Amino acid sequence: MKKIVSLFTLLVSAFGVFAAQAADPVRIGYSIANTGLFAQAAPSQVTAYELWAKQVNDAGGLDVAGERRPVELVWYDDESDPAKSAQIYEKLISDDNVDLLLAPWGTPHHLNVAGVVERHGFPMIGNTAASVAVREVQPGNIWFPTSAIPDRIGVELAAMAAKAGVTSVAIIANVLPFSQENLQFLVPALESVGIEVALNESYPPDISDMTGLLTQIKAANVDGVIALSYPADSFLYMGQSQEIGIDAPFQFLLVGPTISAFSQAFGELADGVVTLGHWSPHQANWSRAKPFFDAYVEAYDMKPDYLDTALAYMSCEILQQAVAKAGLDHDKLRSAISSSTFDTINGDVKFDGVENSITPTAFLQLQGGDMHLVWPENIATAAYKAR
Amino acid sequence: MTALNGILKDRVLLIFLTSLVLTVFVPDLFGSYWAIVALNLMMWVSLTQSWTLFSGMTGYISLGHVVFYGIGAYVVASTFKVLPLWVSIPLGGVVAGVLALLVAIPVLRVRGPYFVILTFGLAELVKYIVLNVETSIGKSSRLLFGAPTIETLLYIMIGLAVIATLMTKLVSQSRFGRGLSAIRDDEITAETVGVPVVKYKITAFTLSAVIPGMVGGVIALKSTYFEVLQVFNPVISFTVVTMAIIGGSGDVRGPFMGAAFLLLLSELFWATIPQIYMILVGLFLIVFVVFAPNGIAAILWPARSRDSQ
Repeated sequence: MKKIVSLFTLLVSAFGVFAAQAADPVRIGYSIANTGLFAQAAPSQVTAYELWAKQVNDAGGLDVAGERRPVELVWYDDESDPAKSAQIYEKLISDDNVDLLLAPWGTPHHLNVAGVVERHGFPMIGNTAASVAVREVQPGNIWFPTSAIPDRIGVELAAMAAKAGVTSVAIIANVLPFSQENLQFLVPALESVGIEVALNESYPPDISDMTGLLTQIKAANVDGVIALSYPADSFLYMGQSQEIGIDAPFQFLLVGPTISAFSQAFGELADGVVTLGHWSPHQANWSRAKPFFDAYVEAYDMKPDYLDTALAYMSCEILQQAVAKAGLDHDKLRSAISSSTFDTINGDVKFDGVENSITPTAFLQLQGGDMHLVWPENIATAAYKAR
Repeated sequence: MTALNGILKDRVLLIFLTSLVLTVFVPDLFGSYWAIVALNLMMWVSLTQSWTLFSGMTGYISLGHVVFYGIGAYVVASTFKVLPLWVSIPLGGVVAGVLALLVAIPVLRVRGPYFVILTFGLAELVKYIVLNVETSIGKSSRLLFGAPTIETLLYIMIGLAVIATLMTKLVSQSRFGRGLSAIRDDEITAETVGVPVVKYKITAFTLSAVIPGMVGGVIALKSTYFEVLQVFNPVISFTVVTMAIIGGSGDVRGPFMGAAFLLLLSELFWATIPQIYMILVGLFLIVFVVFAPNGIAAILWPARSRDSQ
């Protein structure tokens, strides 16, 4: 009898998969910085999208308000150009007639696309965008699951540095918007907790040699270095700071160290670097975190980016759960996204306006080749260690 | 009046102008994506025509045209919802013109490769000044929600493309335009025979800045987002020069042909093989510089292009 039930279950499952494959696919569009200035960062996001799509299809398809349909990804290269990204979303919506959207990479791209989705009333979950400007976006068509908003980062980073015993810092910042916004909020926050800002310099986005800046940092003799960097310049900083001999016990790089290639490239040399990120597979309270991590490592033979891959996957999970509840109708989807609480790899997510109101602003540290949440204490997976 | 008669008698030009105006029907016939493609085409036509007005006619190759586009975008973004758009967009053109006038005197003292590098450097300088101003007031980017529809912006851009084309045509047919051509051929001789070289160069440089200033403002509204590095992107200047070379800058039809050709190439290839698209642009640029330095317009209308030069 048991065998018959098992066989029946297998047949039903097989039929389910077959039915999903026979159904029209749900076409999901996005643009990606496959070439250009941000090409190094974009794979972190794409791998999350592709893994999620594969998992959904392997499980019988996307649950569209009760009906299983396969997922088909439709994407174009935006050449790291935010204006191109907006044009691509216009094409995806009005020319390709996609059913759903996933987000492009980076804040300027998101904010360019925000105008397009608003014009069409097409809901999209953002991911790798973080700016105080997102609060100016009308709620209803785009949402931002990140907790890495610059005004909060400034306050939290200053508090963490103070607790780590830092008394003076040198800051270098990329001139791109995310870095500059962080700089704007960070300096007063540091001063308010009594940390002296001994050096504060900005540098161009395509910087290829940082030795001049790093020599100034070395001369400043500070116990904290904060590089408000993008991925390419984080790699540059890490390599050249070793050559110059910067040995400050507290070193923070804004975006980049969460990419697995960073720890692969620098190994023990990068140990102790603190960076922006609010997800870790080691946080046992987030039941979906470890299975996602394992699936990612199995699929790509490398660790996910703890910031961008996690955010991109979260945005897929939110979309998936909203579609299961509301289907593909834009009004119903909008309502479901705005009002529901979502179970993600980063724990529960709920939106207040366009912002995630649950996930706290947090920081990660490279420890023994792995990344651990070290701030704030209520979600920390390890204690902070000075370099 | 003579210049106007010249335009009315120029059937090819009239066909071009009519086709520019006919793009108003694109949104209804082909939808919003193609409306944006049409808007982009009009943008490039406007920018390339205005570049031709100075650089094409005088031979002073500017690699800093984006500075006027960027400053116009900045004016519109910083006055958004403070000034009505019918004021802020023309104001962008006026500010760009004033900027050109202010920098013209030192910039136009140099020629050849020095002028090319100086204009590029000027655009970068203004970009970083604006960036620092924006950063110091805590505005690393600006959202422009509540901008007019794409259709409305397309109509404005068509108007700018038509004005830029007519302006270039009128100047090229005037005594002023012939003076600019004389400067291109031999500046010292032109000055010797009585062409007011300095006055003509400054006037042309200033005029060529006004349309890009307004175009930048319209594009900022289309994007609904303003970010300094995006609107002062030097690739915009490079693209304008490429379009002028491929289309031909000795004739007002050239900028239209160059813009349409590159846009068509882009639409055919960017979605499927973007890397090939950039290689093709490079190849076409080399081919045109070596084998057809006067561009597509000179190939299609050899006698007309020669006449206009």
